[in-house]
Amino acid sequence: MISTLQKTIRPVRAVRGLHKSAVEVLKRPDPEDTVTASYGRFISEVKPQHLSSLVLHRSKRMVLDSIGVGLIGSTTDVFELALQHCQHMYAPDDISSVYGRRGSRLSPTLAAFVNGVATHSMDFDDTWHPATHPSGAVLPAVLALSDMMPNSKPSGSDFLLAFNVGIEIQGRLMRFSHEAHNIPKRFHPPSVVGTMGSAAACARLLSLDHSQCSHALAIAASLSGAPMANAATQSKPLHIGNASRLGLEAALLASRGLKASPLVLDAVAGVAGFDAFYEDYVPEPLESPNDGHVFLLEEQDMGFKRFPAHLGMHWVADAAASVHTLLVGLGPGTVSPSQVQDILLRVPKSKYINRPFPESEHEARHSFQFNACSALLDGEVTVQSFTPAALRRPDILALLSRVRVEHPHDNPANFNSMYGEVQVTLVEGHILKGRCDTFYGHWRNPLTNESLRKKFRNNAGAVLRSEQVEGLIDVVGGLDTLGDCRDLLSQLQ
Amino acid sequence: MLCKGITESFGAAIHALNTTKLTDGVISRSKRMMLDTLGVGLIGSRTAVFNKALMYSQSFKSDERSSVWGKSQITLPPPFAAFVNGIAVHSMDFDDTWHPATHPSGAVLPALLALAETLPSRPSGLDLLLAFNVGIEVQGRLLRFSREAFNIPERFHPPSVVGVMGSAAASAKLLALSPAECIHALAIAASSAGAPLANAATQTKPLHIGNAARRGLEAAQLAQMGLEGNPAILDIPSGFGVYYKDYSPSAMTVPASGDFKWMLEDQNIAVKRIPAHLGMHWVVDAALAARAKLENTARNFDLGQIRRVILRVPPSKYVDCPLPSTEHQARHSFQFNASSALLDNKVTVSSFSEAQMNRPALKELLSKVKVETPKDNHPSFDKMYCEVEIETDQGQSYAARCDTFYGHWRKPLSQEDLVDKFSVNASSVLCSEGVEGLIDVVGNMERVRECSILGSYLRLTSSQQEQCYSLQRL
Repeated sequence: MISTLQKTIRPVRAVRGLHKSAVEVLKRPDPEDTVTASYGRFISEVKPQHLSSLVLHRSKRMVLDSIGVGLIGSTTDVFELALQHCQHMYAPDDISSVYGRRGSRLSPTLAAFVNGVATHSMDFDDTWHPATHPSGAVLPAVLALSDMMPNSKPSGSDFLLAFNVGIEIQGRLMRFSHEAHNIPKRFHPPSVVGTMGSAAACARLLSLDHSQCSHALAIAASLSGAPMANAATQSKPLHIGNASRLGLEAALLASRGLKASPLVLDAVAGVAGFDAFYEDYVPEPLESPNDGHVFLLEEQDMGFKRFPAHLGMHWVADAAASVHTLLVGLGPGTVSPSQVQDILLRVPKSKYINRPFPESEHEARHSFQFNACSALLDGEVTVQSFTPAALRRPDILALLSRVRVEHPHDNPANFNSMYGEVQVTLVEGHILKGRCDTFYGHWRNPLTNESLRKKFRNNAGAVLRSEQVEGLIDVVGGLDTLGDCRDLLSQLQ
Repeated sequence: MLCKGITESFGAAIHALNTTKLTDGVISRSKRMMLDTLGVGLIGSRTAVFNKALMYSQSFKSDERSSVWGKSQITLPPPFAAFVNGIAVHSMDFDDTWHPATHPSGAVLPALLALAETLPSRPSGLDLLLAFNVGIEVQGRLLRFSREAFNIPERFHPPSVVGVMGSAAASAKLLALSPAECIHALAIAASSAGAPLANAATQTKPLHIGNAARRGLEAAQLAQMGLEGNPAILDIPSGFGVYYKDYSPSAMTVPASGDFKWMLEDQNIAVKRIPAHLGMHWVVDAALAARAKLENTARNFDLGQIRRVILRVPPSKYVDCPLPSTEHQARHSFQFNASSALLDNKVTVSSFSEAQMNRPALKELLSKVKVETPKDNHPSFDKMYCEVEIETDQGQSYAARCDTFYGHWRKPLSQEDLVDKFSVNASSVLCSEGVEGLIDVVGNMERVRECSILGSYLRLTSSQQEQCYSLQRL
């Protein structure tokens, strides 16, 4: 085995090294022995046969969901703005297709940008643990790059491999810190690991050598990092758009020979690399794909959203929905604010999703209070719950003014361990409670294939004809056996 | 969320600043910065990193095109012109440095020139000067929001943090955005900030400036189209504060009548004489002085007689590189710059070529260099010093110390030497009409009718140069 050979060679190098100043040897790790180099090697060496059937199955679900949310996202204002920006600042280009816009094509990185914006525009895209939105940062770049490849398009299995590399790298990087395991406070995770994932995926698809793969990651690190303050604003979707775009750019620059730090993932005292984005950081090398490597997606499934809002909202929505059912059972069939005296939410402490009176759709998607009240009134939260009219409903506003929020000590700000409780005190004195530990769509209670397809049909159907919608379901379902991903690329508009 | 109105004040200030607020002092200093920046950008257009970025950027199409400095035939979409020109400016680490530490001009000027060439309003030289100074001022303000910024950086490379904000502010000014749009330009730019220091001393470092210019311009354009971000981006710790461990922002106010106090008037910039990290300038001046002592005293002076060279420098990991293997590392190596100075009695652009770096005599000298970091040597460009002590085989010792190198803000380059640096740099790429034209236009910038004329001079290459270069391997 080559890896064991390498292990025997290393001590010899160390002995020779002693002829230099011993201090020099200690300071400089063997360039092959770094965490960064191990990532470069993994990306360059991994092959389709390293993907297990479970990983293939789960990642195809992610691809389908991501395309769907991207398609419905192409109806949003922020997407329109991003698209116009690209079309005005640059010119239309014949290369990579734009979600849902027949005939619109852009340069690959710009297509990755707008499609990434679309994907995250309604906060409808997938969420993982540790927390990030992995697919939106990777899929648009892989699609755009596939469109760019001149002669033969990648096979479906090469496509899926690149996609999974992009997901895997994100998962691995997040495990370098404890900070990443909790709901973020400083940097928005997709802007940190998403760019790296996109770079990795594109490096894989471009078949870069291990050194170029390392440099792609290092170049991407200089393009990573956006503050949490822009979450819950119209700029948030650009975090995913830029992650996708800039990761692709990093891979393209690396393919042209641009070099960057060979230690970007390693922790070097006094010179921050990727650890600049974290308070605690302990990197681990990535083993060779031939050494019994297991993809993280095998062990940690993905969460899919049932409605377009921050993941945390799904807990309170499910809890509030169960109270709605009780209320409706008790009374006239609908819920009216006049019945409600007080609403108490018990949720984890997280400033950016604690918004008593959201003023925009973006804020509403990041408001425990708004989502609880919507679900309490309507029994569910849907795409329609965030329209301008819906935001201003008198009933919603009335309920919002009666909400209190508590942060129990046993409710951590962590998507794996949190819960949501809704306690409604009725005017006539009854107290109704609802609690959700695991919402339907969470990785512990995943959407069935049927539910996932239903979500996809609703989303894609907003923009495509039904033959195209069904066509995409079929193509993605059989993606790993597809000889040529052209069939996928051609159906996105 | 606590909103102290700081971001709002920046938006209002960027909008309110007008050409009447420009003072003679700030005009004079910023023109020097512009000239120096153009010069280093021109010579930078012959580097490998620039060429890689140029080839990449040429794959983008656009209707509007802006000049690429030092190229007569090539134009690019404005954001990519800003990108490659910014890269050129920082490609050899030859551009200006400020205190608190950043490279302010390279993040701003390329964006403004690219933008100016496409604006139907055809901005004047005075408009350019105003926008440029807005970009510099905003950077200076942001750097003062933390104590961390006052020292040589360890986490994020400052141009990638404040540079993109300066570019956004400057572009917003040139685009005449409303106060609200200026706020959002800053907010959008903040999501493009922050590159880790690990990529300093690599080929990617120049991209930090290139991207600052490009993405700041883009942020302003997106804001102009109505994109919004967090209007309290500078106020809150989860906003711009994420880039600093300590963060204490304050408002920016422009008096309606009366003078505006530009930071550039109080705090000048440093212009480099050597294409290397600023810290190297101290060690080179000290090494040259120590060498002179050795030469004056010793009869038959022979470098082979050097037993040891001790450098006393501030602690800064990313410029402590005993055996650099690339030009980028060499520009960030106390040891390399001291050794070059001792060997050649000067450090110039050519000191960093592969041939020069591989000289056995240099490598031998490098192996004799020892670095010490005395406690009183503070890692701050305002406070540091360098000492070089040469020990000979005969047991003698020649030491010299540099507190303030020539070119530092405490000892600025004379106008003659500044123009000279520019001429040498620009002549490597432009014909003499181009060189002189730029000196003339920048020198009279406040009277220039259309600042885009700079673009036409920046393209006046001497055909010999361009032909010669295209034959060389990249």
